[in-house]
Amino acid sequence: MRLPAPNAVLGGAIIGVVVVAALLGAVWTPVDPLKINFAARLQPPGGAYLLGTDEFGRDVLSRLMAAAATSVWISLVTVAAAVTGGTIIGLLTGYLRGWTDRILMAFNDALLAFPGILLALGLLAVFGANKYGIILALGLAYTPSVARIVRGTVLSLREREFVEASRVMGNSEIFTVMRHVLPNCIAPLTVLATSMFGWVLLSESALSFLGLGVPPPAPTWGNMLASSRSFIAQAVWLGIFPGLCISLTLLGINLLGDALRDRLDPRMRGV
Amino acid sequence: MLRFAIRRILMAVPTLAIMAVAVFVLIRLIPGDPASLMLGDLADPASLADLRERLGLDKDIATQFVIWFGNVLRGDLGLSITSGQPVLPLVLERFWVSARIVFIAVAIASLIAVPAGVIAAWRQNSALDLALVGTATVLLSIPTFWLGLLLLLLFGLKLEWLPVVGYVSFSDNPTAALLYILMPVATLFLHEMGVLIRMSRASTLEVLRLDYITHARAKGLSERAVLWRHAFKNAFGPTWTLIGLVLGNLLGGIAVVETVFTIPGLGRLLVDSIFARDYPVIQGCLLFVAFVYVVVNLVVDLLYPVFDPRVTAE
Amino acid sequence: MMKRTIAFTLGTLLAAAPAAAQTVTVALNADIRSTNPGVNRDDNTDAVVLHMVEGLVGYRENGSVAPLLAEKVDVSPDGRTYTFTLRKGVKFHNGAELTADDVLWSWNRYMDPKTDWRCRSEFDGRSGLKVEKAEAPDAATFVMTLDRPSALFLDSLARTDCGMTAVLHRDSVAADGSWDKPIGTGPFRFGEWRRGEYVTVTRFDDYSSPPGDRPDGLVGAKRTALAEVKFLVVPDASTVKAALVSGAVDLAQVLDSDVPELSASKSAAVGLYPSATKHTFLFQTRDPLLGNVKLRQAIAASIDIPELVAAVSNGHGKANNSAVALTSAYYGDVQRKAYAYDPEKAKQLLAEAGYKGEPIRIIANKRVHVPSFNAAVIAQAMMQAVGINAEIEVLEWATQLDRYNKGNYQMMSFSYSARLDPALSYEQFSGPKDRQPRKVWDDPAAQDLIEKASVISDEAERRKLFDQLHELQLETTPLIIFANGQEAWAHTKRLEGADPWEGKPRLWGARVATN
Repeated sequence: MRLPAPNAVLGGAIIGVVVVAALLGAVWTPVDPLKINFAARLQPPGGAYLLGTDEFGRDVLSRLMAAAATSVWISLVTVAAAVTGGTIIGLLTGYLRGWTDRILMAFNDALLAFPGILLALGLLAVFGANKYGIILALGLAYTPSVARIVRGTVLSLREREFVEASRVMGNSEIFTVMRHVLPNCIAPLTVLATSMFGWVLLSESALSFLGLGVPPPAPTWGNMLASSRSFIAQAVWLGIFPGLCISLTLLGINLLGDALRDRLDPRMRGV
Repeated sequence: MLRFAIRRILMAVPTLAIMAVAVFVLIRLIPGDPASLMLGDLADPASLADLRERLGLDKDIATQFVIWFGNVLRGDLGLSITSGQPVLPLVLERFWVSARIVFIAVAIASLIAVPAGVIAAWRQNSALDLALVGTATVLLSIPTFWLGLLLLLLFGLKLEWLPVVGYVSFSDNPTAALLYILMPVATLFLHEMGVLIRMSRASTLEVLRLDYITHARAKGLSERAVLWRHAFKNAFGPTWTLIGLVLGNLLGGIAVVETVFTIPGLGRLLVDSIFARDYPVIQGCLLFVAFVYVVVNLVVDLLYPVFDPRVTAE
Repeated sequence: MMKRTIAFTLGTLLAAAPAAAQTVTVALNADIRSTNPGVNRDDNTDAVVLHMVEGLVGYRENGSVAPLLAEKVDVSPDGRTYTFTLRKGVKFHNGAELTADDVLWSWNRYMDPKTDWRCRSEFDGRSGLKVEKAEAPDAATFVMTLDRPSALFLDSLARTDCGMTAVLHRDSVAADGSWDKPIGTGPFRFGEWRRGEYVTVTRFDDYSSPPGDRPDGLVGAKRTALAEVKFLVVPDASTVKAALVSGAVDLAQVLDSDVPELSASKSAAVGLYPSATKHTFLFQTRDPLLGNVKLRQAIAASIDIPELVAAVSNGHGKANNSAVALTSAYYGDVQRKAYAYDPEKAKQLLAEAGYKGEPIRIIANKRVHVPSFNAAVIAQAMMQAVGINAEIEVLEWATQLDRYNKGNYQMMSFSYSARLDPALSYEQFSGPKDRQPRKVWDDPAAQDLIEKASVISDEAERRKLFDQLHELQLETTPLIIFANGQEAWAHTKRLEGADPWEGKPRLWGARVATN
């Protein structure tokens, strides 16, 4: 048993804190994150409000916690959706090949050729700027990369002896895929899913920052940053804390991702 | 080489065509209508009908598409609904604003990050490597829109060294232009440094593990010669491809940086025209971005052999 | 072009050199759409164009209509024939004398569908009123005959979004009938328009001003002392602020949140100007929940409107629950009647309405210069305090407008643009929902009163009708009007007397202080 890598420990610790804050934020916050208090507008950190208040006198700490819950939930569901969808498409195209492959991959590549955030922008405008719209838009935007990786793994496996053997033994195609091909996709998928969690979190924040994400008054780190812009001169803390939350979470994800990659998929190290 | 280029361009045509259709349909599914937006709350049914007719929005969507696509094939992207300006010059003009910032940032970042990555790989697991990778990971983790905000806060508001928002073109006032472009470029530069150091380190590591490096070392070449003559050249190839990808993605992601620094670039134009439902401009922007993406990747592929002698363009 | 604009703005800004003494620079947040009055326009366009062109009649400050190019307007006893006698000695910018023939030519051009005049439907019978005949019996007389008497005919002619139905010289259009440039009779003549950058206008020395000793709305004394005015496009609010402080811009609308900082500045001063814009909460009276008048009254009683208005306007705004604007000649004692803030009564009304905590969703948007979102947030808190389960849904403006036009909402924080005549102001939100889903107040009794006010010209009679309308509106509460617009404009201290009106800068009354 080898010792866990230092980046795994640090990354794991950061993500652990974020997840705990998110879980807690989903059920309890010090103050109602939507509670307005005009008497306490733009209070600096310290005192009654640990991290200060915003332009409506709402508690920043509570809003950050509630935002963590929203962001983590959106990112998890989106990644799950993209991985599921992408795996199904990847398995289908990689295993069946022929026209299914060609047609599906043509669409896949058209989607891939489109910068993710632009695609999400367009889709979001159609689905409506809310939690579900974001999940749908980002899920669709990130599905193609999953499909590509799964398809690649399948293509490299399908000619290997144990897959061939399973087929020769009279096992059905579906059984072969499930029993022999899918498990071999798990390692690269875990690595990809971890990074993707970071990308989704970042995209969600960026979209909220542009005013196209989760609509206020519900807090997200991105929309908190966006509304802090008008008060940046008077209330620095409004711009500092949400950004710090996003950056630390991403740092945690990146460290954890690196550690996972070293462990599970040495071929992809450092990419 | 030429045949390769032509084939690549032809391959991109269906992608662009699919995109054109998708974009056209997608934006018309968005609730809201440019005619009623222009008239606002004063829209009485009669003047709304007049305006829709003038803008050609009263025709069914298939007819609208045929008209628009026919014009696109003739190089005419139409007129902006809100400003009445022709779309193509508008998009080009905004593109140069964005492109200048992106290119400068990526160029400087590559010049520093690629050697840094090579050195980190060469001294793998040393303190230097750890420091470089650590810095890169931290830089990578800071979203550009927050980094920009921090720079703005520090240099613009606290120290008052740099102007806070806006943009000056180089032809008008080079010194001022430089001042205004400094923070947006620095923002993108720092972020891309993070990405590129990690990439170039990874590809160098891969190369260093290959047999011919061992072979070169066995021949008694100095470490430095091994590194520069063999490792660097070969590691630069894959990194070069990724620089292409980065450029493409940046053009998509630059909207946030332009929002932070109020730069009238392509990203901002796209976001603003989505808000205004300016269909011709949205279509023009997206089509143009896709086109640039294809071209950038084509150029990257054509230049690939220059950096990686193992690969030829065929 | 865009980049040049900004370049230009900031170049000037950096140089921080005050503009040439006699040129006054006004910042616009967006470029004008055209120089063609009432055709391709928005508020900025109207503001610039109305410096150069004038109509037969124009608005006074209090929203009533006064002669402008006309010396007087005579209405026949049956109310259907309007005779405009033109002022003598009025010249176009090209030196030509204004004649009734020019008025007729302009009118016929507007009524030609090819012109795309946005107000054509107001006069061709599609919205009711129809101008049956327009003629110029002699050089100083223009006569229009309507199919019915109307109290709003002159008002429609004066509307700023119609470009004041401006009288233009026929050389304003090119030989092929396309628009060239405005040759009007205004105090300024057209200078240069660099798209995305700026528009300039220069003093018209042969200007013949309507009577008056000071500017009054768009009439009154209009001869100008300024040699040149430059309307500079500066989209970003923080750039505008910096430009005002440095003196690169002399006049600009600013954000409420920037008022304290600019007031404290040595070089700039801030003024607050009322407008007839209406800030409101709309109810969908066809909603199963909000169809209940008791529930709507409960919401009205739950909101402390003066407090809300103070909060959204940095303490500067005044509450007004009437569709008659504070600035209007028709605003009187009855219009002062307001909703009473009474949480206990609200709770009681909720109980009577049988309200069981069903969610009520308020739609709002985050556009700058309208209090939509902030007002919704405060109303939500106040409604929650009496036990109403209020939610906010923030939509992007285009989507909200779409929902408004379809009537698809429960409650909406919405602002109406200015309509100066009270009958038109009521008409903005009243009407049959079956034919026009965007209408808010669908009440035959109210419709009847508005209709009467549109026909009767007698001021005392109209006042009675508006009084009745206000009482009826308070009682049935199809919407809550909570305030009129209040705009903050900042100007450099060297510029005097450039008071904007209804959101539009008016530079003809301005002077540059010499020091």
